[in-house]
Amino acid sequence: MPSLKDLKTRINSVKSTQKITSAMKMVAAAKLRRAQDSAERGRPYADRMQQIINSLAAKADPSSAPQLLVGNGRDKTHLLVVVSADRGLCGGFNGAITRQTRTEVARLRDEGKTVKLLMVGRKSADALRRELGDSYIQSLEGIQGTSVAFSDAASIGDKVRDGFEAGEFDVCTVIFNKFKSAISQEVTLKKLIPAEVDESAPSDDQGVSYEYEPDEEELLAAVLPRNISTQIYSALLESSAAELAARMTAMDNATRNAGDLIDRLTLVYNRTRQATITKELIEIISGAEAV
Amino acid sequence: MAETTQLELVTPADIMVQKPAEMVVAPGAEGLFGVLPRHAPLLSDLVRGIVEVHENGKVANRFMIDGGLADVSGESVTILTERAEDLDKVSRDDIKSRADAASGAEAEFLNVVLAAL
Repeated sequence: MPSLKDLKTRINSVKSTQKITSAMKMVAAAKLRRAQDSAERGRPYADRMQQIINSLAAKADPSSAPQLLVGNGRDKTHLLVVVSADRGLCGGFNGAITRQTRTEVARLRDEGKTVKLLMVGRKSADALRRELGDSYIQSLEGIQGTSVAFSDAASIGDKVRDGFEAGEFDVCTVIFNKFKSAISQEVTLKKLIPAEVDESAPSDDQGVSYEYEPDEEELLAAVLPRNISTQIYSALLESSAAELAARMTAMDNATRNAGDLIDRLTLVYNRTRQATITKELIEIISGAEAV
Repeated sequence: MAETTQLELVTPADIMVQKPAEMVVAPGAEGLFGVLPRHAPLLSDLVRGIVEVHENGKVANRFMIDGGLADVSGESVTILTERAEDLDKVSRDDIKSRADAASGAEAEFLNVVLAAL
């Protein structure tokens, strides 16, 4: 049976934890609004880019199309770009990415393929270092803050492209958390190389004959490298909005759990206090009767 | 009011400009080209240079862009670019301090902007 003093200390410590979690929740909520805003403002660029690629790819001749679009014909070495957070305390956010990466690596290895990893964000990189550290080609951190700079995405994009051109890998996929809503994120795998082309999407230039300057293929060759950086940028934006949303939800739960715990402890505290009083009364009364 | 074409200047972070223009002059990969309303559909690669927006027969805005793509249709011009600066709104000091802080392609671009101011 814990003493009254122990209970009091316990209640106070839970209360201060609750203060911290509720402050973190508020901070995450405020930042989330900004991150969500910039994720949404980043969409038009990525969408237009994808539209242009769709319409160019439909016209390109597969035999002479750039390798970034059709791949280099091999499927031996895979590069996974894994986007997680630099910081924890955001519920299942990093865990989901780590788990997905582990399954994906296992799947590819079972198929007899070589896997290389480019880790963005500290958390998953730390979590997987022991088992997959040998496959890391690089591990980056400090890119996701309150705002994501396009230049950071561009430098990752350059690295990916250089690696592909040097033949270090044949297929490149990004794994990231997509922001669905403030309460849900979705682990998403997106293929960067060969570029994903949505052939079913109705292109908006149907029936209109475009003029191309320079010709289609040169244009395609100019757009595809930019598209890689753009896709990485939008993955980073989505991921940082999703991270904040996950943190907000996690901290909200933590605050609520702390509240429940405080209620329970207060009940025990009051019962104990009552029991002590009753015991003292009995002692006094039986003392008086004995006289 | 003369006929206009809808200009959109989009960067990865934001839609920078969205307004009607009488004519847009863009730095195409094969030379400068002007776009008037009812221009034939065109998709062009762009190089680093200045996009001019004409209104009432005069240049109303100038934007330095760092290459990109122009998607032209009869009623709109969409320019996708990684970096853009509004030459009428930025100040020399601001660009200079950002150029000093930046590195690589960004610093190079900002120096070009500085030279054009």
